[in-house]
Amino acid sequence: MDHFLYFFTFQDSSIAFIVIGITLLGIGSAYVGTFSFLDKKALLGDAISHAVLPGICLGFLLAGEKNPIYIVGGAFVSGAIATFLSSWLKENTKLSEDTIIASILSIFFGFGIVLLTVIQKTGNPEMAGLNQFIFGNAIGILEEDLWIYGGLAVLIILTLTIFMKEFSLLVFNAEFGKAIGYPMKSIRLLFNVLMILSVIIGIQAIGVVLMAALLITPGAAARFWTDKLSVLLVLAGIFAVISGIAGTYISYVIPQMPTGPWVVVSLSLLALISFLFAPKRGMVYRYFARKNYLRKTQNEHILKSIFKATEEGKSGLTIEEIYQLYPEQKKQSLKSIKNLNKDHYLIVNQNFISLTNSGLTEAKRVVRLHRLWESYLNEYMNIAPDHVHESAEKLEHLLTPELEALLESRLNYPKLDPHQENIPRDHD
Amino acid sequence: MIKQVENPILEIHDLTVSYEQSPVLWNVDLSLPAAKLIGILGPNGAGKSTLIKAIMGLVDHSSGYVKIFDKNLNEVRSRISYVPQRESVDWNFPTSVLDVVTMGTYGKLGIFKRPGKKEKTIALESLEKVGMSAFAKRQISELSGGQQQRVFIARALAQEADLYLMDEPFAGVDMATENAIFELLQNMAKAGKSVIVVHHDIHSAMKYFDWMIMLNLHLVASGPKDEVVTEDLLRKTYGGKLNLLTQVNEIIRQKDFNPLKN
Repeated sequence: MDHFLYFFTFQDSSIAFIVIGITLLGIGSAYVGTFSFLDKKALLGDAISHAVLPGICLGFLLAGEKNPIYIVGGAFVSGAIATFLSSWLKENTKLSEDTIIASILSIFFGFGIVLLTVIQKTGNPEMAGLNQFIFGNAIGILEEDLWIYGGLAVLIILTLTIFMKEFSLLVFNAEFGKAIGYPMKSIRLLFNVLMILSVIIGIQAIGVVLMAALLITPGAAARFWTDKLSVLLVLAGIFAVISGIAGTYISYVIPQMPTGPWVVVSLSLLALISFLFAPKRGMVYRYFARKNYLRKTQNEHILKSIFKATEEGKSGLTIEEIYQLYPEQKKQSLKSIKNLNKDHYLIVNQNFISLTNSGLTEAKRVVRLHRLWESYLNEYMNIAPDHVHESAEKLEHLLTPELEALLESRLNYPKLDPHQENIPRDHD
Repeated sequence: MIKQVENPILEIHDLTVSYEQSPVLWNVDLSLPAAKLIGILGPNGAGKSTLIKAIMGLVDHSSGYVKIFDKNLNEVRSRISYVPQRESVDWNFPTSVLDVVTMGTYGKLGIFKRPGKKEKTIALESLEKVGMSAFAKRQISELSGGQQQRVFIARALAQEADLYLMDEPFAGVDMATENAIFELLQNMAKAGKSVIVVHHDIHSAMKYFDWMIMLNLHLVASGPKDEVVTEDLLRKTYGGKLNLLTQVNEIIRQKDFNPLKN
């Protein structure tokens, strides 16, 4: 708890600095990442984040120390080469995109590890910090490095905001952009530069291996919650910042703990929550929506069976008769009867069940839709009367009042369905 | 039957286009009159979309040139509007109908600048013309196929151009929408705009177009509807691909390089 207060009250100015840095970094990379996620180029981000490693090592070798300018420069050059290579190979060979990305990722990363080993053999005392570039260590960042990464993050955020219209056009319909005379190739180039830079700003805090997660996961998780680009970008930024700070806090509390993996763990948690609980797209929502639909189907089946009994001159059905109609679903049937009774659609007298007035109207509606649909299939789609029942059994629960009106007018308010059964209406 | 015109709005001179390894359009040579509703017809894979893309500079030519309003494309780009195929974009992209239509104003607006009130008004008017005003605030992912098509046409209208090039605007559209859009296009032609439409249904083509271009890897015909829609020319267009031309394409493809390209 002491740690917690000390960390989040920012008594230590260097912690405040790091948190500001992580916030900028999170917003910047989530911003770029959301666009590349929408552009379906998520794998390219992964390739770039692995491909910057050899550049970092070469930068270190050239400078002989952990000079941030050399390291950022080296990372940029090798990231750019990887990006260029992937598009060149795609245009000039018959290799598929996934093959190209997978090869570039592993070749560059392998080469980077070779260089890292070489540097370790030299015994340069400065190299101790170099391992941090793999999994990241936010707490270990020096203040002067923070200025560079933070500055780059601000640059990324500003550029994306200024060119929002152009980047949206690039992702949504680049061909149209070209047709109206926009320099789409330059815009794509600028976007690729931003993508490389957004990987670079995270190399020290998050590490090259896991930076791809911070690029793509926030946008992917936020997509569950919204259909609006502006909301999507804000939400992705918030997700990235929350997990960035959580990761930093953990690596602050536990010594020797790398930041990157914890950022990814908190991000995954946010993604999991989105996947499960987001309205409309979330699993839980969809589960309940499906369940509701099934319940509605069962209720309507019960109403329908009682209505059919009244057509045969009975005044209702006993529970046993209903069980016999749906022998597999006794429990559900009983539940449906209880619910329908509660909604005043049914009268349950001892074991005998009959329809109330509103129940009759509702039952007629379902039977009417069923028989109208059968008539439509038979008349307009030339389907034989003995083949129309199955489809109507499903669609009677789906057809909207608008479609009902359309069916009625198309079929000219028919009296009978293809089986010569009466199509019931409210005024009968 | 290829009819050339004086003062054409669009002149295509000896245009050959190749994709990757094989040619898709052979030596197309035609000129088109202004203020007409013009249809491009032909079977699948005849090169209809490619012709439009070549006019818009979206695919490279192996040879030949295109002149629009007697000028090069780049000089008159703001006077041309292009409607790509509906399937060419991801309709799950998180954006609204109004935002997509506003893209039509981007050409005149230029890079850097953000669309303002004027652009929004143009976009809303364009939506009105295609009967989609009520959908302005909707997300594009909620639209049906026919509505998506109307949105694309509204975007083209927002470009306020003189020449419209539309790639299969009737694909996946119901009859009522097709008739409504055709009437809109006819009115545009009456108002002096030129509209070129890639289309595949010969029946509605006969009903609405003034002029027709018939393609089957090469130009079969270009001229007023009554003169080019003959049994002979229809057979040449739709009667299967020319056997010899297909074989030549196949040889070029197997060579792994295309001698027609440079």
